[in-house]
Amino acid sequence: MAHIRKAEITSPITTLGGESTSRVVPALLVVAAACIGGAFAWQGLSNRALFLHSYLVSYMFFLTITLGCIFFVMIQHLTKAGWSVTVRRVAEVFGCGIFPMALLFLPILVLVLTGDSSLYPWVNTTPAASGAPEWAVGDERIFDIKATFLTPFWFGIRSVIYFTVWTFIAFRLYSWSVKQDETGDKNISLKSQSFCAPLMLAFVLCLAFAAFDMEMSLAPMWFSTMFPVYIFAGCVLSSLATILLTCLLLQKTGRITDEITIEHYHDLAKLCFAFIFFWGYIAFSQFMLIWYANIPEETFWYRFRFEGGWVVFSLVLLFGHLFIPFLGMMARTVRRNKTYLLFATIFLLAMHWVDHFWIVMPQWKASVYEGYFSHGEPITSSQYVVWPGFVDLLLFVGMGAVFLASFCVVSGNRSLVPLKDPRLHEALNYDNP
Amino acid sequence: MNNEVDNREQKKLVGVLGQFDDAHTLVHACEALRDSGVKKMDAYTPYPVHGIEKAIGIPRTILPWIVLSIAAGGLCIGLGMQWYTNATTQLLPFWSGYEFRISGKPMFSLPANIPVTFEVIVLSSAFASFFGMLVLNGLPKLANPLHRIPRFKRVTNDKFFLMVDVGDDKFDASQLRNNFSDWGATDVEEVFQDQTDWKLPAFLKTFAVLALVLMLVPPALIFRARGMTYTGTRLHVVPDMDWQVKFKTQTEGPLANNNTTTEFFFQDIRAQFDDLPGTVSRSDQSGDSEFFKGIRTGSDLHSSHTTPAVLASNQEETAQEETTATTEATAADEPDWVTTIPSQVKVDRDTVLRGQRQYNIYCAVCHGYSGEGNGLANNRAVALSTSGESAWTEAKSLYDPTVIDQPVGRIYDTITNGRSTMGPYATRIKPEDRWAIVLYVKALQKTRKTAVSKTTEDNSAGDKKDSGK
Repeated sequence: MAHIRKAEITSPITTLGGESTSRVVPALLVVAAACIGGAFAWQGLSNRALFLHSYLVSYMFFLTITLGCIFFVMIQHLTKAGWSVTVRRVAEVFGCGIFPMALLFLPILVLVLTGDSSLYPWVNTTPAASGAPEWAVGDERIFDIKATFLTPFWFGIRSVIYFTVWTFIAFRLYSWSVKQDETGDKNISLKSQSFCAPLMLAFVLCLAFAAFDMEMSLAPMWFSTMFPVYIFAGCVLSSLATILLTCLLLQKTGRITDEITIEHYHDLAKLCFAFIFFWGYIAFSQFMLIWYANIPEETFWYRFRFEGGWVVFSLVLLFGHLFIPFLGMMARTVRRNKTYLLFATIFLLAMHWVDHFWIVMPQWKASVYEGYFSHGEPITSSQYVVWPGFVDLLLFVGMGAVFLASFCVVSGNRSLVPLKDPRLHEALNYDNP
Repeated sequence: MNNEVDNREQKKLVGVLGQFDDAHTLVHACEALRDSGVKKMDAYTPYPVHGIEKAIGIPRTILPWIVLSIAAGGLCIGLGMQWYTNATTQLLPFWSGYEFRISGKPMFSLPANIPVTFEVIVLSSAFASFFGMLVLNGLPKLANPLHRIPRFKRVTNDKFFLMVDVGDDKFDASQLRNNFSDWGATDVEEVFQDQTDWKLPAFLKTFAVLALVLMLVPPALIFRARGMTYTGTRLHVVPDMDWQVKFKTQTEGPLANNNTTTEFFFQDIRAQFDDLPGTVSRSDQSGDSEFFKGIRTGSDLHSSHTTPAVLASNQEETAQEETTATTEATAADEPDWVTTIPSQVKVDRDTVLRGQRQYNIYCAVCHGYSGEGNGLANNRAVALSTSGESAWTEAKSLYDPTVIDQPVGRIYDTITNGRSTMGPYATRIKPEDRWAIVLYVKALQKTRKTAVSKTTEDNSAGDKKDSGK
């Protein structure tokens, strides 16, 4: 209270990477190409199914972060949030990463459209002995419905819709925000708000169906209406961790000066804390209903993750994604400690990666797995448990490079903090009671 | 107002109050006071002023720790309660647990217990934070001396106040007056405690005593009424449930709403319609005896009400042996059973398969899937009756010569009305399905009479022929 911070931005407005900017982006892209290409050469040719599943893990990791950032920006506009103005720009820039994410989705889309079923078993519609495709195990009514929904054609149409909607939202909001930097037009804030209201509905619908399409359909006969919410919880948590981590690093390197205070970190950390528990709540809601009903059509998905080596991942998630961070982020003092937050956000992001590994990887040998379901043969999942390996690392680094390159290109030589937002003074003088 | 001011001398000093015109001067004054070592002070503002708690030097509240510990207690209570009630019996001499298995889950299984535990944690945390906040703030307070000061009323409008409590170690009224003025206070005054403030209003005491006494009345009435019979008029708590707007059958009907004459809604004064022409009662299926009873038309009139099988099934539970005897004794009076499948039932493969499905649902538990009378329920019951734990008449093998010789009508009747220990299935299986079962039973029997190859060849054709015999 003693000192009221004036609504003027003191952060240096330069490009990320400073004088060597022109070399940073190409270098990152070269790293991306080398890593993804290397991983493909290493494993993509010999074991395409396994490679594609690894690809999807890293892809979903960065896609969910990007989507979470778009959601973050939208919810700040919708709630007329004042506190978050100074950290909003980072989320806006990350949100625009949805365009390179759409490009990285192309290989998957092309494979599906060309009828390659090594990633999504439902692409294969060749009838087996029973008359239905091989993946159609269990109740035929479920198959009838699933078969009309999961076709390459509709998958393609839906994918185009998802990425169009997401890209539209992200770029619209970012370009308005940048325009406000120059004009200081207050109407832009109001316009963004009314823009977000209907588009939030479209965004969430796309997110839900993308969760069905991209990850739940790896087990084509499995269904859980809680699944999109589960993915959404991960989206928000991982994006909050990313925003927090990015702000910490940008401030540490002097890209942002005193616009972001400990109060903003504290608030982001509080949201993180909330979404850690929300994630656990949703994960448990999904699990408990399936566990309690105990219907084979649903339980097999979990049973597979609780057997053999996969149980290790399940336990890592239970403790690493829920209990440890929940207790670890509970105290106010740790939420206001930058060193601690640096560690915590990296830990949360690692857990987010494990989460998607846990969702995607057990599906890589669909035939083994569905044989297990239909005949009840005692195939233990330890027989083909996959541990994270070099290929996963390469793909993670490769896509991470694309993610960072996108951040550099989109932010360009603009300020990393909104310059003339009407609520800027609120954020600058924000204080946690 | 005036008399309050006049009485000041008789009152006790509680502190010094300074009035400020804006939040900045207030915060500065707070900081100066804090730095001079004053601890017992409080600021009053029209709106929440950020950072004021630091300026006053209020230490961080311990409320989170209280909430955390009570939440941990809630966790233990939530889990412990479920464990005690569901997974133990007679652990303590009073309040015994009750082991009740649900959905085949273990008596104590964490996933099922988490929702309840979670709710208990949330509830106890909410209570802890709400009541903890009240207690830590010293609320509810019946009276505050500040409310006696006319100037203080503007605290909810545009003025800011700072009060130093008389109990503070550094309290010095005259020095505080000077300091407040130096820091920009527009007014300083001493606050006195009206001794009457501490007295509880008389009406409140009366009310509390009265409420306590009244609260004892319902339990006292209940206590008095234990084991008593009551002869007075019944209490009607929910009158529209006790007197429903409806008419019972065979009673007088409603009046038509006619202003000139009194007319009943139906001409015959009754509350219900007569059956519409052509109505067939569910219980009276005499229209098609062959289809509904398995008895030839015309011959059922004299026997339909005294069919031994009906008697047998009605009395089976109370007098099993007796009814068996009755059945045998009246065997000569057997009705004229139908010997062919009625024309309504299509004799083909689909019907046999339908019969198989129904048979497997209703009959196989006792008669066995292959019809040898070795179903699971039967086997278990036989084992129990051998050890004397229950009485049971063994389910018949469908290949028993007496069954093989039975006409289809008789088998149909057995399904419909039951025999001996076997109960009636009339309410559970539709007539069409009963006939389908009969067809399937006949098909089963044929498998034991004919070579396998022949049976499979003329499956559907043979059925008709066989059932016609």
